[in-house]
Amino acid sequence: MKDTQSLPKLQSQFLDVTYMNHKTGQEVTALKNINLSIQEGEFICIVGPSGCGKTTFLNTVIGFIEPSNGSILLDNKKIVGPGKDRSMVFQSPSLLPWRNVMDNVLYGVELQKRLSPDTRELAKTYIEMVGLKGFESHYPHELSGGMQQRVNLARALTVEPSLLLLDEPFSALDAQTREFMQQELVRIWSETKKTSIFITHQIDEAVFLADRVFVFGARPGHLVEDISIDLVRPRELKIKREPHFLQYVDRIWQLIENESAKQGFA
Amino acid sequence: MSKTEMTSTIPVKNKSLKIKTKKSTVWISVTSVILFLISWELISYYKLINPLFISSPIKIVEAATTLFADPRYWQHLGVSAYEFSLGFILAMAIGIPIGIFAGWNRIFNSIISPFVSALYVTPKVALLPIIIIAFGIGAASKIVVVFLMAFFPIVMSAQKAMSTLDQNLIKAARSFTASEFQIFKTIALPSTVPFLLNGIRLGLGQGLIAIVVGEMYASTAGIGYHLTHAGQNLKTAEMFVGVVVIAVSGVILTGIIGLIEKRFSSWKPE
Repeated sequence: MKDTQSLPKLQSQFLDVTYMNHKTGQEVTALKNINLSIQEGEFICIVGPSGCGKTTFLNTVIGFIEPSNGSILLDNKKIVGPGKDRSMVFQSPSLLPWRNVMDNVLYGVELQKRLSPDTRELAKTYIEMVGLKGFESHYPHELSGGMQQRVNLARALTVEPSLLLLDEPFSALDAQTREFMQQELVRIWSETKKTSIFITHQIDEAVFLADRVFVFGARPGHLVEDISIDLVRPRELKIKREPHFLQYVDRIWQLIENESAKQGFA
Repeated sequence: MSKTEMTSTIPVKNKSLKIKTKKSTVWISVTSVILFLISWELISYYKLINPLFISSPIKIVEAATTLFADPRYWQHLGVSAYEFSLGFILAMAIGIPIGIFAGWNRIFNSIISPFVSALYVTPKVALLPIIIIAFGIGAASKIVVVFLMAFFPIVMSAQKAMSTLDQNLIKAARSFTASEFQIFKTIALPSTVPFLLNGIRLGLGQGLIAIVVGEMYASTAGIGYHLTHAGQNLKTAEMFVGVVVIAVSGVILTGIIGLIEKRFSSWKPE
């Protein structure tokens, strides 16, 4: 990458995650020897077949899961639990149904005991950035799925994390809304330049959004390849039809197919 | 333009239709009640059923006018109201925290669960003989019965509410470094409100049964006492006045809960 000398934003060193499957009583290795590093301001997408441990990886970064071996360093500090320097956009909107948009967006800073006129201003800024200006006093049930995910995103941004995690945030949306939200995320990201890790199982989504795509393989979850996406920014949806874009998609497809073949699925 | 117009007119049309149907069903209800009262009066007037058993709407209204003019009847009402409110407030004040804590803490839940489930289905009025011996025939024994009857539905509902918390919300809160107490305050408590109100509504019905049965069984005052007394002296109309008073109180109290529910669930979809 460009700044190989500077300290990486996030480093995963010899990371193993194992857990007990309580049904079978057996130990399962979800992640095996993950070594990777992410630079400040990068947008990373992780793709891979189901069972490749991509969600486990994200849950370890947010601090829900403790590594069995190795460690993850954020700004050179070991992650030991959830922290104010990270926030997550969840697959389901996870909004408090009895709170309106404004109060839901403020929920994160409220839990971090940082409610102030400043953070309120910040919430307004991000509500506007995600395109929900005028909806501040609406309740979640009055919003469409796409709008709920915008609230989910604004809430995560309002705590001003130094690392933003996104766990398949568009997977429950219909195809058109999904494409539209991808474009919106590209725009929002270009305004905030937040270091982000985005998990998805849709390859074109990963290529469209990412500076680098990490392809994970399954059983146990491991890093197969780290692919830099050299497509100009700002990106628009029409690049999805360009040959250069499709080459990336094909290549990642190949990798995942090979992985699946190793597992005996393909 | 025409598209937006179309979509905006459709819900409006639906709304006016809804109001119309609501109005007409209210009239149907009013008519059915009036018809019921008229037939009751006629059946009594022509003695198709012995009026001693069923009295008649006009006689009940007459009895009510005399009773409500009598300060002694108001004393009976006051005694019952006092016993009921004290027992019910105690049931809420103790039942809600216990239920919520049981839903939050597994060990405490395992300790009290067997007792709560067993006593929930037990008719607590069956304990009246012992309660009267322990607390006398005065107000105290009635307060205890009301408390026991209302307590269990309230505890059960609070417990249930806590067990149905949305795990996605808890996960989101934890990602923002929420403490257990913050999760309790911002997710658990607000989630319980609709369940709690439902439990309180159930408790109300139970409490009203308790007060009447308690006073009928052994007492010297109260509406249940007056009602039994009237029945034994063949004053059917007076007895019915008591029944109507209890029914109306129940409807009013349930209505108040409905209003609170509306206030707390303004965010809910219709």
